[in-house]
Amino acid sequence: VSAAPSNERGFFTDTTVCIGCKACEVACKEWNQLPDDGMFFTGMSYDNTVDLGASTWRHVAFIERPVPLGGQTTGLGDFSWLLMSDVCKHCKSAGCLENCPTGAIVRTEVDTVYVQPDVCNGCGYCVSGCPFGVIDRRADDGRAWKCTLCYDRQKDGMTPACAKACPTESIVFGDIDELRTRAEARVQQLHERGVTEAYLYGSDPENQPGTGGLNAFFLLVDRPEAYNLPPDPVAPSKKAAEAWSRVAVGAVAMLATAVGAVLSARKA
Amino acid sequence: MGGAGGEDGRYGEGRYIDPRVGVLAGEASEQRVPERRQKVEGAVPYDVWREVPPPEGRRAEEDVTYYDRPVLKEPTWIWAVPAYFYAGGTAGAAAVLELVAALADAEDLDGLITRCRWISAVGDAAGTALLIEDLGRPERFANMLRVFRPSSPMSVGSWVLAISVPAAGASVLFGKRHGPLGFLGNAGTVVSGLTGLPLTGYTAVLLSNTAVPLWQATRRSLPLLFMSSAVTSAASLLDLTDLTDREQRIVRRYGLAGKLADLAAAMAVEREADEVEEVGTALHEGAAGTLWRAAKVLIAASAALSLVPGTSNARRRLSGALGTLGAISMRFAVFHAGKRSSVDPRATFRQQRAGRGGAEATGTAAVTGPDGRRAVS
Repeated sequence: VSAAPSNERGFFTDTTVCIGCKACEVACKEWNQLPDDGMFFTGMSYDNTVDLGASTWRHVAFIERPVPLGGQTTGLGDFSWLLMSDVCKHCKSAGCLENCPTGAIVRTEVDTVYVQPDVCNGCGYCVSGCPFGVIDRRADDGRAWKCTLCYDRQKDGMTPACAKACPTESIVFGDIDELRTRAEARVQQLHERGVTEAYLYGSDPENQPGTGGLNAFFLLVDRPEAYNLPPDPVAPSKKAAEAWSRVAVGAVAMLATAVGAVLSARKA
Repeated sequence: MGGAGGEDGRYGEGRYIDPRVGVLAGEASEQRVPERRQKVEGAVPYDVWREVPPPEGRRAEEDVTYYDRPVLKEPTWIWAVPAYFYAGGTAGAAAVLELVAALADAEDLDGLITRCRWISAVGDAAGTALLIEDLGRPERFANMLRVFRPSSPMSVGSWVLAISVPAAGASVLFGKRHGPLGFLGNAGTVVSGLTGLPLTGYTAVLLSNTAVPLWQATRRSLPLLFMSSAVTSAASLLDLTDLTDREQRIVRRYGLAGKLADLAAAMAVEREADEVEEVGTALHEGAAGTLWRAAKVLIAASAALSLVPGTSNARRRLSGALGTLGAISMRFAVFHAGKRSSVDPRATFRQQRAGRGGAEATGTAAVTGPDGRRAVS
């Protein structure tokens, strides 16, 4: 019996069934009408997208490893290919949202993180606040942009474009609690099949305390670094009290210095 | 926006939507794209052969990266931001000295107070202009005061600056008046002096409240560096002006304390940064490293000149010039070193693996492997 669905929506990205077709990237670009980023060849395996950015809200990473996957034998020697469709994590403690001075970045009614383009003034503070390097400012546009978890489609009860287009259900959209149950069952299943490396990245606050958990979490089979994910990300604001307390110390010292300098120099 | 097709034939401005059959109404359809592409189609935005390591077989586990691509986005800020750090800091520290001098002996220290008022008012105004210059949408600068968000040091700072600017303005315009306007001027002196204190330090909190490895790592020492550097810059500017003997002594003591604290804080910053080797390198290598070393030498030289006894004006001016250059270099060095550390994936990875990521703030590191294996063992 599953609990009543919460109003929290997100993605579970199971990297073990990703086939690297980039349908998610295309669907995202098409639905959101994002401009292209130029066409180029990088030489980084099949990854010519490189990273997430202001006009790229899904990015498929291609990792060629000289290591076999657990329980796998290949005729080509030690080799395995990891594929992962990366996306904004919609963190519970979102560095971008906490840093946004204008209130342009908000948490929506489905618990996702959304940038209001009509409010953003392009200060760039969210860009530095994101521990995943997701959100970016588009130079020509001047504003910060990132995945909206298809906020416009949410209003009509539709699945986000990327999840809808994914042919292998590597990207699953849904209620966060249901996604967690599904993800844990999938890890169990993979372990039984010999893929003992499988684990969940950012599935809940206990799994990733620094971000309070991710609304878009992943099933990975290698260290996070291999996928260009930070191993122990943290919302910067969790450390801000230490810095502010030093400002208080500095303020007292500065005032004392000024008083000392003025009072010690008596009239000649 | 360009019409159908555009000169390069990319329908719908890089979206490949023929406007005769499709409507530009998607979430990002407003995103402005350049009239002309900066880069030739097909060109890679970075040097693949230089920057991407060739497949080299099995790499050491702790050296795994994704083709050495950055994990973080480089801060978008331009030169105007460190320039503001200098301008705002100088204004704040001058306003503090102005307030104390006005309370102690407004009559005899009139010259010093007037100079402080001008530094404070001009610094605040110039700083605000610099911040607006840095915005991607400068016409929306007023949105900075749309909300108050305590979790955002930039929001806190915007409000501090928004109070400080009119206060410093009132102080410089009406500080010498009598009657209601004089009261306004005095109130301005008090308010700009009090807001001057956070104004000198919040900028360091702003930097450290980011994912940038160097800035986050130095969050305990950076506020002290910025605040002492603010005192150095205000005193150094005052050293460049004509002052009475008594005022000179005040400025020398204020500045000397600032410079010595600067040097001590710089050491503390290095110690914090060097706790993780890959984080500290940004402060030691490259142009930022050179600037950082230059800043320390300039400030030390300025402090040494302040210690030379006597009332030589040349000594005072030289000390002021060196201190000013040192304070400016310091802000730019911290800024550029941070940018450098942001694009080094190893700085982020090693810092977090060393227990200085989420673990430091929450007590528990994130899961990074099966069976609940965590980033920090």
